[in-house]
Amino acid sequence: MDEHLVWHGYLLSHHEDFTVIQSPFTLNGTRVFGADSDPTTLAVAALMHRIGIESVTSVSVPEGMDGETLTAACGVEVVKEDDLDDCPWDLMMSDEAVVVLAKQGAEVTVPQLDVAVPVMADEHEALEQAWTKELHHQHVSQGAFVSEAAYMEGAEARLAMMGQQHGDSIVWPPRYGERGASEVTGMKRTGRVLSWTALSAAGAPSEFALRAPLLDGLSTVLLQLDDGPNGVFLLVDDEDHNVTMGAPVELVLRRLYAQEGFMRYGLKGRLV
Amino acid sequence: MVNVAMVGAGQTKYGNHPLGLKGMWAEAAEQAFASVDGDFEPRQVDEAFIGSLAFGGAQLGNTAALLTEHSGMNGVPVRRVENACASSGYALRDAWMAIKSGQADVVVAGGIEKMNDLTPERKRYWLGVSGDTEWERLAGLTFPGTYALMARRHFHEHGSSHDDLVHISVKNHLHGSLNPKAHIQKEVSFEKAASGFMVADPLTLYDCCPTSDGASCVVLAADHVARQLTDTPVWINGSGAASDHLALHDRPSITRLAATQQASKQAYEQAGITADDIDLAEVHDCFTIAELMATEDLGFAARGQGGVFARDGAGRLNEGAVTVNASGGLKSKGHPLGATGTGQAVEVFHQLRHEVTHGRQVRDAEVALTHNVGGSGATCAVHVFGREVA
Repeated sequence: MDEHLVWHGYLLSHHEDFTVIQSPFTLNGTRVFGADSDPTTLAVAALMHRIGIESVTSVSVPEGMDGETLTAACGVEVVKEDDLDDCPWDLMMSDEAVVVLAKQGAEVTVPQLDVAVPVMADEHEALEQAWTKELHHQHVSQGAFVSEAAYMEGAEARLAMMGQQHGDSIVWPPRYGERGASEVTGMKRTGRVLSWTALSAAGAPSEFALRAPLLDGLSTVLLQLDDGPNGVFLLVDDEDHNVTMGAPVELVLRRLYAQEGFMRYGLKGRLV
Repeated sequence: MVNVAMVGAGQTKYGNHPLGLKGMWAEAAEQAFASVDGDFEPRQVDEAFIGSLAFGGAQLGNTAALLTEHSGMNGVPVRRVENACASSGYALRDAWMAIKSGQADVVVAGGIEKMNDLTPERKRYWLGVSGDTEWERLAGLTFPGTYALMARRHFHEHGSSHDDLVHISVKNHLHGSLNPKAHIQKEVSFEKAASGFMVADPLTLYDCCPTSDGASCVVLAADHVARQLTDTPVWINGSGAASDHLALHDRPSITRLAATQQASKQAYEQAGITADDIDLAEVHDCFTIAELMATEDLGFAARGQGGVFARDGAGRLNEGAVTVNASGGLKSKGHPLGATGTGQAVEVFHQLRHEVTHGRQVRDAEVALTHNVGGSGATCAVHVFGREVA
């Protein structure tokens, strides 16, 4: 194993032939997902790290990971079952909150790391139950919500920070009818705090009604992104936030909310 | 071009109203019709515009037709106007334009919202539908959150503080305590308002308006009709409106509302006045920071000086050049979303006719303004009124 580091709020171990990404949270000695993480968010973090080193164009994805989100966030093709033998990269999950991205045929060893952030069993269970309820197909909206079609329309902007080049500046999120805008361009996932607020559970949108009380509310930042545009983002749910004006923030992929059987992912802020 | 006057105005008491949509609207409309000095029948109405978000658990589609049916205006062309919290500010503008165009002589503008017949979760759902759904809502924001972002940025850029917001809350509660139609008719101390439950840091409960039931209605008439109906018409001398990016993150600045600035500029130019000529202003204080920014955007305070304006008590009843929210504003009078815009006009109608009681009359009021904002500033309507036609 060549390198261990904290990456997107996870523990990442880099090897020439594979990447192991582990949740820092533990319950009774077992690694568990944080408040807004799942196999898909860990897989995106692994892919983003590997793509920064070498080209990854296609990957096999196990059941339980959201292939569309991986494609939108990382630009990788998710290989169909018939073509698995030709796929150069595999994503793998374990019983714990650990994901491995490996070159096909690589001999993988998962390092035992001594970093562990214990979570309370009752709080962890309550959040798990809240997500399960949210994701149920009968958990429905009354109308004004982000439908699957609306989510997918904005997926590249939401998950991969794709904006519109407009002269020397970038428009993000992209806008229809933006005269003079040219090609789509990827943006850096970093920015600085222009303003912030911490909402009480009572002040949060109804989509967050099941989890906001468990999280003691939600924290949101308005960022000036390093490429120019501004954006609003939730802060990562399971970290302590001591926000100050101008503080640097990185954007990492996490769960946002679920409704009608469909999970919405998005970028959230982490203070760095 | 024809001039337009308000000749009648009425509203329900705001708050937890025992009646539903039909009953509340009937009450407000009947008051408005009865307030017309001369002989007036609802069948004289040529056109009607009714603002509503259709928040509550009643008629969602075709709301306006139900309401004309229950106010003696059956058969009158009507439509629901929806621009979030600015719905009836725009209904008023539509009514003004209908008369200005020469197509109508007598037009009703009104608004209504039933907000307190819902469970807390449904209420929270509806309170968030007018913000940017795709980006802000997914970032956990409802309006307390968006206005909290504005407040913190204003503090940072201009040195204003939460204490300035507390002064606004205390003032509007004082004014509202004198208003029998207000939702919250009680004063609040500075200390209490400064230590309220935190809703969206830095905004506390005392920075946020209540969710109110209510209906409001005004009758507009072309000048040749108005003079037959009353000797004391209230002239609408300017109507301005503008829109802005729906989401905060698309705006160059979040410490001002560009739509307010544009709408007020239009209204002032039409009326041939400046902000210095305004005696009373009903401004859209859905949150105290909204009033602070509005005093700047409307020109009562210099840019960045809204905090000083509030701290100095410049908007208190009959204490400064302009009285801000003599009614108690949204903060104390209440905010039944769709009813708020024309509710502001109802207050102005009585103030400019010098008929307000309970010690709330603005002395020698000649010129007034209403400022009605949709959401976090994506839409805005500003109207200027006078005892004299411009």
